[in-house]
Amino acid sequence: MLRLLIRMWNHPAVRGLVHTWRGRFILAFLAVQLVLPVRYYVAHRDPHDERFAWRMFSPMRMAQCQPTVLLDGKPLELGAEFHEAWITIARRGRFSVIEAMGKALCERHPGAEVRMSIDCRYNDREPQTYGGYDMCNVPLL
Amino acid sequence: MAKQRQRSKQHAPATDKREAKVRARREASRDARRAPLAARTAPAEQPRFWFGFEVTWAKLLLARVVLFALLAIDAVLSIRHAPRYGAGGFNVAHLPGLDALGPTRASYAIAQLVSAYLFVLVAFGVGTRYALPVVTAIYAWLYFGSQLDSYQHHYLVVLLLLLACFVPWQRPADATPATPVRSWAVRLMLVQLGIMYLWAAISKLDVAWLDGRTLHEQITGSLRHAIDATIGITWTARLVVVTELVLAVIVWVRPAWIVAAPLGIAFHAGILKTGLEIGLFAWLMLGLYVLVVPDRIWVWIAETPPLRVLRAVLGRVAAADSWIALGLGALGTALALATRLHHAVAVAVGLAVFTALIVVTAKRRGERVGPVGIAHVVAIAVWLLVDRASTVAFDYYNFWGGSQRRLGKVETAEVAYRELAERFPDDARGHYRLGELLVRRNDLEGLGELHEAQRLEPLQPRAYMAEAEYLARTGKQAEAIAKAQEATYADPSSQAARDLVDRLTGAGKPATPAAADDDPDDAP
Repeated sequence: MLRLLIRMWNHPAVRGLVHTWRGRFILAFLAVQLVLPVRYYVAHRDPHDERFAWRMFSPMRMAQCQPTVLLDGKPLELGAEFHEAWITIARRGRFSVIEAMGKALCERHPGAEVRMSIDCRYNDREPQTYGGYDMCNVPLL
Repeated sequence: MAKQRQRSKQHAPATDKREAKVRARREASRDARRAPLAARTAPAEQPRFWFGFEVTWAKLLLARVVLFALLAIDAVLSIRHAPRYGAGGFNVAHLPGLDALGPTRASYAIAQLVSAYLFVLVAFGVGTRYALPVVTAIYAWLYFGSQLDSYQHHYLVVLLLLLACFVPWQRPADATPATPVRSWAVRLMLVQLGIMYLWAAISKLDVAWLDGRTLHEQITGSLRHAIDATIGITWTARLVVVTELVLAVIVWVRPAWIVAAPLGIAFHAGILKTGLEIGLFAWLMLGLYVLVVPDRIWVWIAETPPLRVLRAVLGRVAAADSWIALGLGALGTALALATRLHHAVAVAVGLAVFTALIVVTAKRRGERVGPVGIAHVVAIAVWLLVDRASTVAFDYYNFWGGSQRRLGKVETAEVAYRELAERFPDDARGHYRLGELLVRRNDLEGLGELHEAQRLEPLQPRAYMAEAEYLARTGKQAEAIAKAQEATYADPSSQAARDLVDRLTGAGKPATPAAADDDPDDAP
């Protein structure tokens, strides 16, 4: 792999790019566009988060998640706290948004226990539940 | 001449000779220092793949007009989503640390108006060197500032706009349609499309896609019937992957454009027919294929007699006097008065001042000012046309009121519904929502709004029911029952109206009051 990279680097087409700012811009742009989507496949924490990976209409896009929030053990209506658009994103299972919701609820209800979980159904795998902890103590799903 | 120089040298004083020697030595040493440096930094041969890439002026001009016009329309249409930004004081940005810098409802709406305006300016080739970086920065801020916009195609637009900043969009001197324009950025835009297709295909190399399950759930519309009646959904799913892989390889290779253009256009036209909710994405992709269609086709079209005449007319208009341009600017600003978009007039006035400055500056430099005035009028006309031809302004106020109402911000919801009822007086929804909000706090003005809603939508029971609830709350039981019965007359099939009558008359089981949230017509 390393040898391949060195050979690519020494290729005249690449060496020619390194000498000008335009060339360096092209190399950086291509590197980001080729490597950023790889992140989804090799190092993602959230399988539902397909941003920047060009996964249009992928099977994961069809995941349907049901967020549940318990405030001091009682069910909380998310619609009274967050705009519908955020709830729609939460129903797609995006961890970063759900965790931010948990953080916001902890700030809005100081001292309360905010338990959040999502139950997700998929086209290509078994259903899965994430979270279920007090988000004020364990802020990640 | 040489003799004269020799004579002057002979008569030159000794000090001059010494100075000349010193100067000669310095120059020699400078040259010696320069030589190796120059050899070291001599530009390596730049890859022709990038830096020798040329497209014709006809293609570049058409791409400029089509792409930026589409983006202008998309920007105005996006204003309907503004009320979700900043609602409830919650935001999650795409990039860490940017949550607090995300757009709000007002800033989003204003930014989209400005973006639409700047896109039109760029489409006209006005101030591209300045307008394009500015609108790219605005677009990137709107996108990266909030995960509310997670559309992959908006991310694609951010990248393409960044690259577009390096494209020479201005008309070269004495350009004809066939004049070649060299641009590495256009090549990179095409390569970016190839990368996108590649990753999109890779993401579909999954059993759930290849057996047609995923596509089965996503695809509707007329194309679905055609697919079911022909090759079936499974083979269509596999064909999508093959098409994306083929396009990934050929979309940026000039000799393959003859295949890539029809294939890509058919692919994205097919997506248009699927009923997928992807906004202008398919149109934008079709617009990008202007760059993939072989140049000779655009040159041939540009050389047809009607387009020659059009070019001559536009050339004359472009040479218009600065007073005409300023007059057009004033006309454009007046057009903003007819739009129903929030903040449109204030933004138009601000942009008119900006445009006037461009005209004055261009006039001082001796540049053409006609396009500036025309672009200003067209930009505001785009706001007006998109507003009048779509529900964007209605949706904006309706969603604004709805989201604020559900979040318990009654005062802000009232402001939104007042605007809605004022700007759309013939639509019952604004009157109903405002009336319902007002009678909840026993404001009698609400009754007038409910009566107006009943007049405008006599077959909808909700305004009658809201009035009946109010009458019951204020102890007017008989009038409340009569009004609830009117609700059942309006729509005899309404279970909610019948339940209300039963509740008010004490017949049957008690029903919960009809909740306004049951009506989803003000939810995005």
